[in-house]
Amino acid sequence: MKRFIIAFIAAFIFIFLWGWFYNGVLLKDVFAEAQSLFRPREEMMTLFHWIIIGQAGLALSFVMIYASGFAGGGIASGVRLGIMLEILAVSARCAFYATQPFPAKLLVLISIGGFIEMIVTGVIVGAIYKPATAQGS
Amino acid sequence: MKLFGLAGTQQEPQPKEIMDWKKFFIAFVAAFGFLFLFGFLWYAILMHGAHQEVPALFRTESEFKEHFLWLVLGHVVMAFFLTLLCVRFVPAGGAGPCALLGLLVALVYEGPHLITFAVQPITTKILCGWIVGSLIQFIVAGATIGAVYKSSSPATR
Repeated sequence: MKRFIIAFIAAFIFIFLWGWFYNGVLLKDVFAEAQSLFRPREEMMTLFHWIIIGQAGLALSFVMIYASGFAGGGIASGVRLGIMLEILAVSARCAFYATQPFPAKLLVLISIGGFIEMIVTGVIVGAIYKPATAQGS
Repeated sequence: MKLFGLAGTQQEPQPKEIMDWKKFFIAFVAAFGFLFLFGFLWYAILMHGAHQEVPALFRTESEFKEHFLWLVLGHVVMAFFLTLLCVRFVPAGGAGPCALLGLLVALVYEGPHLITFAVQPITTKILCGWIVGSLIQFIVAGATIGAVYKSSSPATR
């Protein structure tokens, strides 16, 4: 349980920092091109706690799935799980692209960032979390 | 640690040895059929009014028709990788364990939904609709995949 909590905290910190750096700094101008689809910055800041809760939920779900069925494979399994979950996220983005007028460039860049995020999260969780039998050996 | 009683694979399974591709394909088609039909019913019919409250966030009817193939492609990929995840995660199959995996996958989606609510001007009604919709969608899709794939799993032979 201790490793589960540490893996969750580490994953959450990475997802938070990566989300800020990639979406808030690197893609800032690309997001600005589709400003009409987003809340004004001031309004966004009043709802910032939902971003934190969302990212914590994402990290917790990742660690729960990993701990439930992928933990035996270590980092490689974590990476594999991250890739599978991100492909599912990309498929959802395709559906969003069909229904919402997002620029294709924005969704492609978000997906690239998503792959990096989930692969690194898989590395972190795979490196930290070990199943009970592996910890004992 | 095995959460929710899921019989996870703590050792690396050998996919080539345990995967029944015929059943996999049937499970994938069943999952795609459910995901697409439920998505149409939930998001396009039941939530139509809620989406109309913020029309600027959504494509017009004609634009949507032009991009319809993306919707189909998205659901095909979603069904394929959900099936792959179920087979990889619960090689013995079974509606219950795969429904639980579907629940966990849905929870992965709920985080981004909350983030979307923070950054896009969607209403609380839309957020709640998306959350409930994705929970139902993935739990039932997981159960469907598990029920179809179960019968041919080596673990049950």
